[in-house]
Amino acid sequence: MAEHATSSKLERKQSLYQSLDERFEIQNEKYGGQQYSQIYFARLHYMRSVLYSLIPNWKPQLPVCTILELEEGKECIIVGTIYKHMKLKPCILDEYSKERSTVPIVKPHNFMHPDDHLVLEDESGRVKLSGDVLSPSTFVTGIVVALHGKETDAGDFLVLDILEAGLAPQIELSLDSREEKYVVFVSGLSVGDNSSNPLHFQLLVDHITGHLGDEKEQAIASQIVRVVIVGDSVEIPHGILNGQNLGSKELSRLSEPTKELDIFITQLAAAVPLDIMPGPNDPANFSLPQQSLHRCLFPGASTYNTFTSCTNPHLFELDGVSFLGTSGQNVDDLEKYSDAKDKLEFMERQLRWRHIAPTAPNTLECYPFTDRDPFFMESCPHVYFVGNQNKYESRLLKGSEGQIVRLICIPKFCKTGVAVALNLRNLECHTLSFSINLEM
Amino acid sequence: MDGAGTLDILSETQALVSDKLQVVSYKWASRNFLMSSNDAKRMLQELVEQHGSELEVVYVLSGWLKKSPPAYHIMLTSVLKLSEVIKEFEDNCSIQIYSVQACIPKDPATFWNYEFVQAEELFDQLATEENCLWDNRFCGVSNSFVKRNATGPSPIVAPPQTKNTVTIASSKSSGAPTPGIQQQLHGKVQQTSPKTGPSTAALASTVKSETSNSEANDQDGKSLADNGKATSVPGSKKNVQAEKSSSATGSLSNLWGRASAKAKPSPPAETMAHNLTVDMADAQIHVHEATGATSSDDEASDINYKRSSNGEGSRKRRVIIDFSDEENDEDAVNLASPDPPKRKSGQDSDHPISNSDIEKSKVNLATRKEDQLKIKEEKKTGKEPSPSSKEDQTVRDKSKNSGISLSVKTPSLIPVDSANQTCKVNEASSNSPKRRKILKTRIDDRGREVTEVVWDEEEVQNKNTDERSTIIDASAKRPPAVKKFPALPSNAPSNPLGKSGVKKTGKAAGTKDPKQGNILSFFKKVCLNENYITGCRYGIPEHFLQYMYGPMLTFLHIGLGTKPDDSTRVGSPDSGGGSGRVDKNKESGQNNSTVGYRVGFRV
Repeated sequence: MAEHATSSKLERKQSLYQSLDERFEIQNEKYGGQQYSQIYFARLHYMRSVLYSLIPNWKPQLPVCTILELEEGKECIIVGTIYKHMKLKPCILDEYSKERSTVPIVKPHNFMHPDDHLVLEDESGRVKLSGDVLSPSTFVTGIVVALHGKETDAGDFLVLDILEAGLAPQIELSLDSREEKYVVFVSGLSVGDNSSNPLHFQLLVDHITGHLGDEKEQAIASQIVRVVIVGDSVEIPHGILNGQNLGSKELSRLSEPTKELDIFITQLAAAVPLDIMPGPNDPANFSLPQQSLHRCLFPGASTYNTFTSCTNPHLFELDGVSFLGTSGQNVDDLEKYSDAKDKLEFMERQLRWRHIAPTAPNTLECYPFTDRDPFFMESCPHVYFVGNQNKYESRLLKGSEGQIVRLICIPKFCKTGVAVALNLRNLECHTLSFSINLEM
Repeated sequence: MDGAGTLDILSETQALVSDKLQVVSYKWASRNFLMSSNDAKRMLQELVEQHGSELEVVYVLSGWLKKSPPAYHIMLTSVLKLSEVIKEFEDNCSIQIYSVQACIPKDPATFWNYEFVQAEELFDQLATEENCLWDNRFCGVSNSFVKRNATGPSPIVAPPQTKNTVTIASSKSSGAPTPGIQQQLHGKVQQTSPKTGPSTAALASTVKSETSNSEANDQDGKSLADNGKATSVPGSKKNVQAEKSSSATGSLSNLWGRASAKAKPSPPAETMAHNLTVDMADAQIHVHEATGATSSDDEASDINYKRSSNGEGSRKRRVIIDFSDEENDEDAVNLASPDPPKRKSGQDSDHPISNSDIEKSKVNLATRKEDQLKIKEEKKTGKEPSPSSKEDQTVRDKSKNSGISLSVKTPSLIPVDSANQTCKVNEASSNSPKRRKILKTRIDDRGREVTEVVWDEEEVQNKNTDERSTIIDASAKRPPAVKKFPALPSNAPSNPLGKSGVKKTGKAAGTKDPKQGNILSFFKKVCLNENYITGCRYGIPEHFLQYMYGPMLTFLHIGLGTKPDDSTRVGSPDSGGGSGRVDKNKESGQNNSTVGYRVGFRV
């Protein structure tokens, strides 16, 4: 029987994996009181070189000048970093202001206000932007753009046209000769959370590992070549932590969820290559780029060669398909300070701005890099995924130079029971959903 | 699967479900009955066909949903809902039994609970064991590329333990190539026993008994430790040669340097290392026990302290402390012990090589082993030089007491060796003070007086503090820092001579005392137990201990008195053993240093 069973076993497909997380690793850097200005400087430096290369094709006749060189009425192009002045943006100084009552009440979902306006900065100075072309609601602080316009009487810069960097160049994919292989994304497992049903995750694990279902389903499972856990895998019971030493009982309660997660992903790692990214609620550093979860959290899973603990913006290649993804902080932050019809639009904008976290370090916590801006997108990924969203969304974005990007919003698994499977052959997506329907 | 087996499993499952009201899922069954999950599903199907009326069945439906964004859906459902739910799926969905139970639980997590408990059990099994959780063997999809490295260094323990592991690794690595020596050692011991006379014989026998008594684990550990010792043998030889031909420090430093170099690159195999440490500690304990039992009551108590610490060492973290303890203990003992040369030389061996604590600790380990080895060697070879078995014994005793120091070796060796050696030894000794208290360069002139000045209480204190601070500074240094504290307790209570205790305290400065008390209290119980055990096990009568103890004293006195040059300064050599000398701050320091110096000249 055993021989029969083994002989009839399906063999899982393999794919070539290359982690490119290096740029997100804070290796030996130490915080020495450095300021955030250097990130903005690096960003402006990178982006300006990109934009300067595009301007000749855009408006070759116009002069490019710095903000200090602006002359009233003279049309020109200026390149700089946008700063969005927001009335409602929380400010630490507000707490000390005596006129607090004059500040309008913040809307529940974000800090937008009709009076918000944009300012453009470069090394030489800053200028307030006006005009209808540029709608403040779509932009956030930290984006580098080129603006065509002229200075008005009031000293504003009247914007006539905008040039964004656009999608970064992309390595072309030959999708024809590929075979069916799937990558499964799951986010927001929140193991240990009361609201999550561990049975859902167990079913997902059983499906992926090839326990569940008949031969047909296991054939599908055998095409899964990698599982990516996109943040917020574990819900640490913070209530236990009260700043005092914990008893052994509390300690074990504290570590229980992590162990449970380890048991789950040990089963996964025993069957399929696995990436685990930290998320906003995971036991990792808080600021982006979040460093990989320590392997000691996973004494079981980390013994497998298939287990990879990776950074939060996670960049990797699978059979030549490049993936870039975050655990959702960057999109969530954009949502607080700008407006869009869905999450995918935020993601699309980030790709067009060539920056996955423009609001860092302004409103999104990030490490004060001094020599680089790791969130700058040098090349366009084929798959851009964001975790911990409320619902599943996906779209194929096509760039002006033939770039094709699959955008995926991965919902929280603990809330929805939905994971996402991506077909490497054609970048098509489908959900893997789980439900329990037992009411009598 | 043969029919009979299937029947058994079926009936068992049936019993589980109906009698124990357990939820039996296919996966639980597959793990429980060690069958593939597909077989388990078939088995459950069979069960349902036979006893369907008595069971509630939960099915798992999986397939593509009909709605527009393509979705592969997996759903658990009961029979009642099955027909209704199946409409949402495309036609070719698969329906399989997920679980059988007496009644459907209200909380769906119950389904998962049984499986999870089972998985947790498997998970908690030894990482090195193979089970169906680790290798996922019962699934329908195999992945031959999955590799599991269960024995590899587990990241959890490694970081804190690095220091430990390093030291152990070094000893181990060096020890590994010379397995044969271990046997030699035993052989030596046996050989020596007749030569050295009754006392030594008793010792040897105790040692043997120790080995024989020790449990299997201990023996393993011992063998390992022996290996370590064995490694030390060449080292010791080297040392001897070095003393003969050149300054001991050079060769030693080479030796240590090599060891350290090895140790650092070697990846800490966590479990192995741990075992090693424990084992080594055990082995050391054994030796100490043997020696301690013979030497004297007080000493025994001292040793007991050590032992207790060692015993503590069986816990992972403690190991470090133990070593450190021992080192300190030994230092303390050295201080305490009437003959200064020992101390100096020992420190020589330690200090010149490396300032870093790690290295020190290594050195200590190695030296300890060396000492033991040497003791044995000396027993063996001891005959030819005039020194009687008595001296050997004393040497041995000292060595055991002090454990670490090469100096022990030197006195015994010196008589054997020629005058040249002594000269070199002198050099070494002159160097030694330098190392001891690095700050003093004046020593070079051979001005022993200068060295003596180093020993002043205040200065010593300063140095101590300095040392400690440096230790703390060096990141890994925690263990060494710990060292000092434990060291004191052992000294103060244990030292029969009393001298050592006083000196120690002087040297250690007031800071240590409170801690010492704590640690003492901490170890006390253990010590008592250990004492009791040693007494019982070896059945060594008290008078015998005294007998052992006596010769050592005499030897020490003789040693002190022998040197003509320094004797003047030393004052009364006879009183050297007395505590009175210790009390003088500077004077005592001078004495010590001079004594250390003298060692070289003796003979």
